[in-house]
Amino acid sequence: MDVWQELIILLEGVPLTLSISIVSFLIGIVVGLPFAFIRVYEKEIGFVVDAYEKIFRGIPEIVLLLLFYFGLGPYFPSTFGNAFFTAAFVLGLRSGANQSQIYRGAIRGVGDEQMIAGMSIGLSKWRAIWHIMIPQVFTFSTSGLGSEYALLIKDSAYVYVIGGLAELMKRAIELKYSAADVVTPFVISALLYILLTFPIAFWLDRWGNRRKKKIGL
Amino acid sequence: MADFVMEARHVYKTYGRKNAKKTKQANGDTSDGAKHVVEAVKDVSLQIKKGDIKLIFGPSGSGKSTFLRCLAMLDIPDKGEIYLGDECLTKPGVDLNKARARIGFVFQHIYLFRHLTALGNVELALRQVLKLPKEEARKRALAALAEVKVTDCANKFPAQMSGGQAQRVGIARALARNPDIILLDEPTSALDPELTGEVIDTLRDLAREGTTMLIVSHEMPFARDVAEEMIFYDEGRIVETGPPSQFFNAPNTDRAKQFMTRIINRTTRE
Ligand SMILES: Nc1ncnc2c1ncn2[C@@H]1O[C@H](COP(=O)(O)OP(=O)(O)OP(=O)(O)O)[C@@H](O)[C@H]1O
Ligand SMILES: [Mg+2]
Repeated sequence: MDVWQELIILLEGVPLTLSISIVSFLIGIVVGLPFAFIRVYEKEIGFVVDAYEKIFRGIPEIVLLLLFYFGLGPYFPSTFGNAFFTAAFVLGLRSGANQSQIYRGAIRGVGDEQMIAGMSIGLSKWRAIWHIMIPQVFTFSTSGLGSEYALLIKDSAYVYVIGGLAELMKRAIELKYSAADVVTPFVISALLYILLTFPIAFWLDRWGNRRKKKIGL
Repeated sequence: MADFVMEARHVYKTYGRKNAKKTKQANGDTSDGAKHVVEAVKDVSLQIKKGDIKLIFGPSGSGKSTFLRCLAMLDIPDKGEIYLGDECLTKPGVDLNKARARIGFVFQHIYLFRHLTALGNVELALRQVLKLPKEEARKRALAALAEVKVTDCANKFPAQMSGGQAQRVGIARALARNPDIILLDEPTSALDPELTGEVIDTLRDLAREGTTMLIVSHEMPFARDVAEEMIFYDEGRIVETGPPSQFFNAPNTDRAKQFMTRIINRTTRE
């Protein structure tokens, strides 16, 4: 097998790596954003968010992946029995825990005054959060979110442990056997990982800095 | 018909740990930062009729901002009642968001929404609170911006405006939804001296149109010209109330006398 054939096999894993990472990233937003606001503005139930963050940030995702897929999979075949679901679930909730912290810092950075001003015009607390805080919180978070995206691309490689998903890492490991070549598949996949992470994180950071400057954040 | 547009009856607000009770802000945030107890508002009562222009002044840290925030229920008073027309805002179960929609608030540090243009800042309440259709909201927002003479800033973000322009947009934001009353907390004190004039002129225009206003300010010439009543506030209390002539000629209390002397000397020295 020549390098080009190996490259093509690996490239075919890129869409799956990307979709695992992007779906996880979106789950992370949907979970992390409300949790961050709950932690800041609903202190009475903030401990729930703390507990969630501790669990998903404290346990290695390999352990979580194996636990959910092999532990719960047999009992919930249509959800945790599904490799993609389990991968997105574990990486998404882990990302939610990270993103919750990113957004929490951003909420403080945007400042309580913006919230007070929003309420002064007659918006309810949650509508002020939606119309005033969230747009600014995203702008404030861009560099953190860029790193988080890069982390997800990298961590999607762990998904090979549960098998079943022919993403980049799994293909590289299989090539190691089938092509009897231990070096090339990993060099190629290393380059592909860099190509998947760096440009987007860089672009997000630059876009965020421009926007921050524009709105004086 | 209520006699007053807004009324405060025996309002108290204390910051810090008193009886180990945390103070609660309107957004649900609790603050227990101050170790000592600060009694920012102590038994303050005040009545404002339609068309009134009243001016609060007094030393820094005396609790003027706190009192104003209590009136708008942006800070929840510990004790006492706030009335907006007939409605008691301090009773449990009142829709405070609806009430705040009828109260304009202008902040010392302006607090425009940074991610929105001037037009967006003014439109937001019209669209999301009053639920006006898009076209009408735009028309009213532009009219409010024109009223405070910042039409040329309509599409600028707050970071691209001068302080005076930003504060006039802040006034337009408070004004656009035709509130029953506008509360202004030192609207010029964060501005460079050469920019205060344009904001004061805007306020003079509003006064001429009969806008009901309660203004915290130390702009004495402005106070003398537009205020029907001046309120000297110190250490959490209203110390003396009267027409401007009383304060400029002979205040009744020594504390007001001292404060007036200090402030007038400062103004003439500048
Ligand atoms: N959120 C808060 N938590 C604790 N203490 C507060 C809070 N807000 C105000 N205070 C305290 O309450 C007192 C009154 O403050 P306030 O800002 O109302 O005074 P002010 O008369 O508006 O002063 P200035 O003229 O400087 O604006 C001050 O001692 C201040 O430190
Ligand atoms: Mg103040």
